Amino acid sequence: MLTVAPPDAVELRANATFEALMWALSRPGDIRDMPEAGFSAVVETLVDLECTVFSDDPDLRAQIAATGALQAEDISQADHVFLSSLEGAEARLVALRCGSALYPDDGATLVAAVRHGVGQRVRLSGPGVDGVLEVTLGIAPGFWAMRAMLCAYPEGFDMLLVDGRSVIGIPRSTLVEVL
Amino acid sequence: MSLSSLTKPWAATSYGFLDASAKRELRRKMLKAIAVPGCQMPYASREVPMARGWGTGGLQVTLTLVNPTSVVKVIDQGADDGVNAASIRRFISRVSGAGETWDTLAASIVQSRHRVPEEVMREDQILVLQVPNPEPLRGVEPNISIARQMHADADYGKLWLTLYEQIVRKGRIMQGAGYPSMVNGRHVMTPSPIPRWDVPKLNMAKHLTFLSAGREKRLFAVPPFTRVEPLVFSDRPYQVEHHADLTCRRSGVSGYFMNELPIDGGGSAFEVSDSNLGIKAIQQAEGAAVEIGKTWYRNGEFSA
Repeated sequence: MLTVAPPDAVELRANATFEALMWALSRPGDIRDMPEAGFSAVVETLVDLECTVFSDDPDLRAQIAATGALQAEDISQADHVFLSSLEGAEARLVALRCGSALYPDDGATLVAAVRHGVGQRVRLSGPGVDGVLEVTLGIAPGFWAMRAMLCAYPEGFDMLLVDGRSVIGIPRSTLVEVL
Repeated sequence: MSLSSLTKPWAATSYGFLDASAKRELRRKMLKAIAVPGCQMPYASREVPMARGWGTGGLQVTLTLVNPTSVVKVIDQGADDGVNAASIRRFISRVSGAGETWDTLAASIVQSRHRVPEEVMREDQILVLQVPNPEPLRGVEPNISIARQMHADADYGKLWLTLYEQIVRKGRIMQGAGYPSMVNGRHVMTPSPIPRWDVPKLNMAKHLTFLSAGREKRLFAVPPFTRVEPLVFSDRPYQVEHHADLTCRRSGVSGYFMNELPIDGGGSAFEVSDSNLGIKAIQQAEGAAVEIGKTWYRNGEFSA
């Protein structure tokens, strides 16, 4: 009889974090709870030696190095981008990888610390949204203009907006209107 | 950084059978599949103790999602007690400690070969479909590189041509299972060989659907509230199988997708394909307190 040990803490955390990220991207604008605050669990869940990662946080860079992932000096090389703030990041983020029509999966995953419930009101529609949904996010209108320019569906990048333990997902398929 | 910080204590097996790096790769691809609904994402497709072609793609997705609080239902052509379904369900439960169920309402993950359950799936449920051939263009373009370019160009004229030729030759569309469907108005997918009856259940559904082909190493997804439109001509409406008037000979339910059983002396008898729905109907008729959830089809009409 095959016996399997119960999952360890890392496995449980990664499983629960992925569930939050998966449902967050499946239902753009919905707030999902991760088991742990911050980017650390997201790195643990998604990143390993097959990834190229950009991060602007030295502590996180140390954790990413331990996973064996390649550290990108340039955002344009990274498939996962971790930013501690999106303020004034438009100029740098223009270089984000958006994949191609042949390989949409080459588009980057942008994980950013963004306040939920304060700032600019936006209206979301598209797959995963039943009609339209309005959310308030701490992201300037200029960012959404830049995103609209880059995300020529099915090309584009996918966003996971983390505020403490909460995460909101905005995949490339979502239409964002600044209100 | 030291060697010990990079390694883990030895264990005979990984939780959920797949090792951590296999799961991370699947997670990354599953997120991309959600972000581009209906678009086939390549993945590594690791070995599992089952031959490719027997549901390894679905199994890998389920093993990535599963945790000890999950409740898993596995069906094969609607039946929970087929040997393939029963073996997969037992395997998942053994390597993860997840609960097993036959009841669609009780399941958190439904892994399925070629059917979508008749009871409406909730917003917290995940449907994992096993896919033998993920490429809707294979019949018209055997070269996968050219097929990829056709997906990139949204060049689906040949699929419409195939349907048109069927109408010209036979007077109606002959495509039965795996009816090509446009997802989110951009990518045509094969919804795995589910009957035409089941395709409308994926359109603007509340649940999340993953479709995974282990042998072909590709997975794709249909997120909730996503348009899934079968390819049809405006003057030839989409038709599901004519099962609305059939009655199950064992449970007496009618208006659901049926298995046709040839009987001695010609003719056929019918049994409801979603076998647990039939079981629940029989139990209800016998006075047991079982709940049959709202179904997608009511009186043989799709009405979700």
